Amino acid sequence: MKKNNKKLTLFILPALLFYSVFTLAPAIGGFWYSLTNWNGLNKNYDFIGLKNYAAILKDTDFINSITFTLKFVLIMVVLQNIISLALAIAIESRNRSKTLFRTLVFMPNMISMIIGGFMWMFIFTKALPYIAQQLNNAALMDISWIGDPFFSFIAIIIVSLWGGIGYLTIIYLAALQGVDRTLKEAASIDGANAWQVFRNVVIPSIMPAITIGVFVTLNNSFKVFDVVYSLTGGGPGRSTQVIAMNIFAEAYSLNNRYGYASAKSMVLFAIIFVITIVQLKLMRKKEIDG
Amino acid sequence: MKTKKMTGWNLLVLLMLILYSIFSLSPILLAILNSGKTQGEILTNILSFPQNFKFDNYLIAFEKINFLRSFLNTMVVVIVGCTGIVLLSAIAGYKLARVKSKLSGFYYSLFVLSMLIPFHSIMITLVKIANVTDLQGKTLGLGIIYIGLGVPMAIFLYTGFIKSIPPELDEAARIDGCGDLRLFFKIIFPQLKPITATIIITNALWMWNDFLLPLLILPNSKTYTILLSTNMLFGQYGNNDWPAILSVLIMAMLPAIVFYLILQKNILKGISEGALKQ
Repeated sequence: MKKNNKKLTLFILPALLFYSVFTLAPAIGGFWYSLTNWNGLNKNYDFIGLKNYAAILKDTDFINSITFTLKFVLIMVVLQNIISLALAIAIESRNRSKTLFRTLVFMPNMISMIIGGFMWMFIFTKALPYIAQQLNNAALMDISWIGDPFFSFIAIIIVSLWGGIGYLTIIYLAALQGVDRTLKEAASIDGANAWQVFRNVVIPSIMPAITIGVFVTLNNSFKVFDVVYSLTGGGPGRSTQVIAMNIFAEAYSLNNRYGYASAKSMVLFAIIFVITIVQLKLMRKKEIDG
Repeated sequence: MKTKKMTGWNLLVLLMLILYSIFSLSPILLAILNSGKTQGEILTNILSFPQNFKFDNYLIAFEKINFLRSFLNTMVVVIVGCTGIVLLSAIAGYKLARVKSKLSGFYYSLFVLSMLIPFHSIMITLVKIANVTDLQGKTLGLGIIYIGLGVPMAIFLYTGFIKSIPPELDEAARIDGCGDLRLFFKIIFPQLKPITATIIITNALWMWNDFLLPLLILPNSKTYTILLSTNMLFGQYGNNDWPAILSVLIMAMLPAIVFYLILQKNILKGISEGALKQ
């Protein structure tokens, strides 16, 4: 047993080394710096306890970024999962065109959201205004997709959905293929209509995939950065500034308050941790009940 | 009556899929269409085909973002990162799957528990560590950092996969006098091909499309990845030179699209398997 443990340690040592230096140490360091007033420019810094966290409570910009991100997450979790599931069911019902549609739906997922955001910028600032002009539609012409806080939010949602739906559709497709055909047929013979079969047979069997789908969307949407960076840069003003961008700006572009930015990043971690754990607990329970 | 209703439903589903596919492709198609136009043509007619497709725009773009250099820089990062992640994680996963002890359980949870930590929570200290270890500013350094970030997920997948390989095979080889490391490379590693493919694909895509970490680690334009070069160009030309920007965007995403069209089956399989195991 002891010999086995020694060998085990030897085999995991290389991975453990890289992991410790580039993940574990920075994580612990992040927590430690959140308790200091380190500002990056100055080599010396002091331990200031929970003062950074107290300051966060009064930081309206940061609190606004949390509310904005929460709104974004909520809409994404609902829309992305419903649309992906609908697309997966639609694709699954096709015969010859199945592969073609799967290819097209997933395609945006291969593209970085930085590039995706720039391409959509072209659509929002050039193509859509042009189309509005051609249609001579005053209401459409008035929309400033990137200059108005509300429409910027809509634009961010559209581009995020465009980039994220393909991934979930693939997961739901895989889950749908695992649904027991005989179960569906048996329900149909018993007189259940298409909706009832879907509600009572399909949904319960793909519940584990739905748990994963919601988990993935929650996790990614809370950390959203690239789309916002490339599309609005957090603007106009700070109206579309998400949490990750607020942290980034605090540490690198506006000022170098590393200690304070670290405290904010710990808050982000805590939010993601609590919400995903609650989500997994609730939905896993439902999987068993259902 | 029933079949008629079914075809109506079928048409609706087909229509929905076609509409979504148009949505999915429209940014790419519009970018291709307009990348071959002059700035004036874009202003007067966005939706039509260019009068004559100006391939010059691509040549100019190719030089503007120093495409070859950016491409090679990105490849260095991806190759270093993937090689490290695969080798270190497979070796670690092998023993984690085979040795059943408290220590083994501890190591495993140590790796796996970190998967919930968002990148932004480690970012600031990570850049400091990159500075101290002299990895800052180097493509090779960025690849090495990715190894440290990527091993937990890969270890998780490898450990699960190796548990499904019967240990009797190990025993037989051991009787033949095979040492542990040789046994791993001769007997175990070749059997890991499917999961190794999944791990390489998902990690390569992640590193290829990652933006924030390269932005922080590679400040010098000589070491820019494709994304960083693209971002810089967009910053320079902003909204003014769309033909140039769109050509750059097409070129920047081309490698990933080609990769996708060639390896589509493996990529989609890897994604659904990787996700459903969590």
